[in-house]
Amino acid sequence: MLTEAETRRGRLLQQYVTARITRLDRVDLALFDYDRYNTLYFFVLNADEQIYLRYGGRDEKSATSYLNLESLELALEKGLELHRLHQQRKLPGEPHPEPLYARDIPALYERTIGRGRCVECHLVGDLLNVQRERDGTLDKLRHLYRAPELARIGIELDIPKGLRVARVTGAAAEAGMRAGDVVRELNSEAVWTFGDFQWEYGSVPLEARAVEIAVERAGELRRLELRLPPMWWLTDLTYRNLSVDPRVYFASDPLALGEKADLGLPELGFASRVRTVDSLSDLLGSHELQVGDIVYGVDGETADEVARTAELHIKLRKQAGQTVTLQVLRAGERLDLPLKTSRMSFRK
Amino acid sequence: MARTFHPLVAPAARMLVCAAVLALAQPVRGEPAVTWLESYEDALEEARRTGKPIFLAFRCAP
Repeated sequence: MLTEAETRRGRLLQQYVTARITRLDRVDLALFDYDRYNTLYFFVLNADEQIYLRYGGRDEKSATSYLNLESLELALEKGLELHRLHQQRKLPGEPHPEPLYARDIPALYERTIGRGRCVECHLVGDLLNVQRERDGTLDKLRHLYRAPELARIGIELDIPKGLRVARVTGAAAEAGMRAGDVVRELNSEAVWTFGDFQWEYGSVPLEARAVEIAVERAGELRRLELRLPPMWWLTDLTYRNLSVDPRVYFASDPLALGEKADLGLPELGFASRVRTVDSLSDLLGSHELQVGDIVYGVDGETADEVARTAELHIKLRKQAGQTVTLQVLRAGERLDLPLKTSRMSFRK
Repeated sequence: MARTFHPLVAPAARMLVCAAVLALAQPVRGEPAVTWLESYEDALEEARRTGKPIFLAFRCAP
């Protein structure tokens, strides 16, 4: 026997044409742009390809943090409501972006369609960055930090309730946001789901110092100016490791301030202790780092305004194929060790 | 010395996550049947024919 919730979801889905896409060979990548490091992402649109809303989004902890059946049903209901407005000609249209297909991106074409292979979502994210690098247009900060975290501005959502705010702290609290508010707009763009919100938030220029968030409270719309904290866009890039060139074949943890002071290392430096060494480092002759080594410098640089570890500094500031010199502390001895970086492989 | 697996094992892990979260878009047992088209062009054509909106799912891997 069907539960009420199961019946409700089925009825909602039956009011849609439902389709699932597993390869992006012939999909307009510009129209359906999203952070390809989402494992599952949805769009609600009409036959004129007007997108009503997005459903998906992620945080640095998990690809599924914001996926929830209740909020999915809310999104489906909202999509139907927006479609009715469209049919009544009460919904303004949106301009389409310039179309972009996989065949238009040489680095992507060569690795996929050109070899008779399918265009998978994550390959689009990875190879678009390879193409940008070839074209000299890759901005690692802009193109890698695509999914800013709401936690950094103090917004915790009641996830099953869509954009209803559960708790506020920090910048959101200072802006006057309250638990129970429902987010409705970001910089005057309507947002109906977390997917919409993260998409719009991820489109804010990195240099922005504030955003305007409109919330619904007791039936009224209130506009709040939220002052963005420094590095508001910064996230852990570990989960999108495949996108980040060059390969360095080690991972490290930042030293605590006290430990840096004890070792005579700069307080704001990226000195970090090697936690793991990738098994390929020997095979490729990449480096001779050992677990426990402290890497405190790269080519003489010891600090980075973004990176808090040596390997992230290399990934953000160096090109694949470069050989760098690491300044290393090993058992109290200071060493200069070479590290040869590599480009990612797209072995399937 | 501690060693890690090369990060290229990550796609396999992501496929497992995909399979798990795909349940979000799948009808549960006994639920009214929902037909999933596998082609975007077919979905557009069906939407034009029926006047329905489209619910389009992107999965990371087949």
